[in-house]
Amino acid sequence: MYARLLYVTISENMNICSYIDIFGGNTMNRKQKKQLKQIIFGAILFVICLIVSNFTQFGTLSKYIQAIPYVVTYIILGYDVLIKSVRNIGNGQIFDENFLMCIAGIGAFCLGEFHEGVAVMLFFKVGEFFEKYAVNKSRKSISSLMDIKPEVATIEVDGKLTQVDPESVTIGDTIIVSAGEKIPIDGTIIDGSCSVDTSAITGESVPRDIKVGDKAISGFINLNGTIKVITEKAFSDSTVSRILDLVENASSKKATAEKFITKFAKYYTPIVVFLAIAIAILVPLITGQEFSKWIYRALTFLVISCPCALVISVPLGFFGGIGGASDNGILVKGSNCLENLAKVDTIAFDKTGTLTEGVFKVTKVCPIDGISKEQILEVTAYAESFSNHPVSNSLKIAYGKEVLVDRVSNAKEIAGKGVSAMVDDSTVYVGNAQLMKSIGVECSNPNDVGTIVHVATDSKYVGYIVVSDVVKPKAKDTMQRLKALGIEKTIMLTGDLNPVAKEISKQVGVDEYYAELMPQDKAKIVEDYKAKGKTILFAGDGINDAPVLALSDVSVAMGGLGSDSAIEISDIVIMNDDISKVADSINIARRTLKIVKQNIVFAISIKIIVLILGAIGVAHMGLAIFADVGVSVIAILNAMRTLRFKS
Amino acid sequence: MKKTFKMVDLDCANCGAKMEEGIKKIKGVQDASISFMAQKITIEAEENDFPRILKEACKVCKKVDAECTIEY
Repeated sequence: MYARLLYVTISENMNICSYIDIFGGNTMNRKQKKQLKQIIFGAILFVICLIVSNFTQFGTLSKYIQAIPYVVTYIILGYDVLIKSVRNIGNGQIFDENFLMCIAGIGAFCLGEFHEGVAVMLFFKVGEFFEKYAVNKSRKSISSLMDIKPEVATIEVDGKLTQVDPESVTIGDTIIVSAGEKIPIDGTIIDGSCSVDTSAITGESVPRDIKVGDKAISGFINLNGTIKVITEKAFSDSTVSRILDLVENASSKKATAEKFITKFAKYYTPIVVFLAIAIAILVPLITGQEFSKWIYRALTFLVISCPCALVISVPLGFFGGIGGASDNGILVKGSNCLENLAKVDTIAFDKTGTLTEGVFKVTKVCPIDGISKEQILEVTAYAESFSNHPVSNSLKIAYGKEVLVDRVSNAKEIAGKGVSAMVDDSTVYVGNAQLMKSIGVECSNPNDVGTIVHVATDSKYVGYIVVSDVVKPKAKDTMQRLKALGIEKTIMLTGDLNPVAKEISKQVGVDEYYAELMPQDKAKIVEDYKAKGKTILFAGDGINDAPVLALSDVSVAMGGLGSDSAIEISDIVIMNDDISKVADSINIARRTLKIVKQNIVFAISIKIIVLILGAIGVAHMGLAIFADVGVSVIAILNAMRTLRFKS
Repeated sequence: MKKTFKMVDLDCANCGAKMEEGIKKIKGVQDASISFMAQKITIEAEENDFPRILKEACKVCKKVDAECTIEY
């Protein structure tokens, strides 16, 4: 029977090993290979022992002689466990799993159950081996997701390209990044252009084109062309290093679920051991039944007293969740942040730059009869051609064609009102209603939300253009997704004027909005919601929002690229400006928490069931270990699901 | 002052928890946290105390698992 069980153990483990292999690519280390050899050798000896004692005259010899081959096998299999347990007792580690396994095995020998004693050790070794293997594999596969660290930087020395350690590059040096290489250090492009794969940093799959004057951010991968970059930061302060630092240290901020399980483990083992002692001594004393039967049952207890399955599955789940999130361009700064994120029921958004693009765009063009939209945009763009005001820029972008400067002359800025210029042969005035009044032109008074730009040529009114901040394309969709996720309330907080806030809130579809706020007012509102018992998330671009970010239960900084302070103070950083990632991050957090809870409940309940079965004599020692290993494996595989998230 | 160090051959999560508890008890350690997943330990203490604390922390680790050390 044990031979069959053993066969099942090994073949099943092989299967699961190959399954685990899908996650990572690395082979076992030397320590593991040695362990595997020891296990296989011991297993073969064990099978020979079983055959010899069951099918030959050996079984009729005295018990002491029969024990010899089993004892030898036991020592070959578990000499390291025996040594470890003795040493750990010397160090005051009494409830050490090695020691408990030794007691269980030796106890079985004393009861004359030789094969049982060896089986305990064999299964323990197989289980331990497999557990470590699986955990290491999972750890590595998650870490490989974060393996975005550039190894070298290329600099030019005396006209020759030389590869150096990026740590040694100082601020202001020029580095060269060729096709296929990672940009190692943040800087500005001074020569060349290329497409970059930003996915390692932003989670965005569409390549971005960058050219001279643009920021080159470390961690981006150059897909084609060669660029020269003048560095603006040291390697250790560059985006990629900072991100790695954050994510790697994320798991040191522990969630309550993690703290719970370590605490549970601390009490679980001693309790089970004392129960075992009680069963072994008290029960036969009270009931008068034979000791050997109850001692055997007590040994079963010892076998399942190891808490490792519990202790490993919870942090592994969180680690996977954090890894999965960073793969999607969402940096989570700790397991505790994921836990809070899963509980969020109220979300407050900053308006400018978070719900809206944060840049002006032409949203409406209203020429008077007889003039086309193109015509009014053309004269406006020409008149504004010398201005760098954000509104002017948006007008030029809306025109979309090149402005020929020699058609414009005598351009003037009229402070607080607008501009005037000679375009071809006519005088053009572009500006607000005050400007029109000052030149004696009657203008319409539209009630559109945004900045209204009136246009007049040769003292004749030709119409107006509305320039305003526009809502991000995914904002509305995100609000709906948040509602579907069961978020009770979405709120918009802004320092902007009430009519603008009202219009934007209507377009986005938030439940409530608060306008004309100072930063401290925003903090007050967040505090009020917290006082009402809500778990509130605040998402903003991190500028002027420090008090709110600090006060909210979960703070999310949008557009983490380049904004150092935002990365510093918030719990979660969304690397690109994509508002829908807020919903993604809640999804990931909830899924992670669900899996972690599944693992806790599953592992604890199986342990308790096996304890009960052991106490009533249904589960024998071999099965108990088998159940224990099974729990670990299933918990680990389950935890690995946190890694895979598709939005 | 917070410092993070790499842990070598830490291959049992429960051992990590035991080490963390032991290291927290070392004199001068304000806080300590072991991340089994990242195989890292973060210790918070006064700058001058670090050499002594690290030596003691290594001893604590060795007590729990003889093969595990802190790299510094």
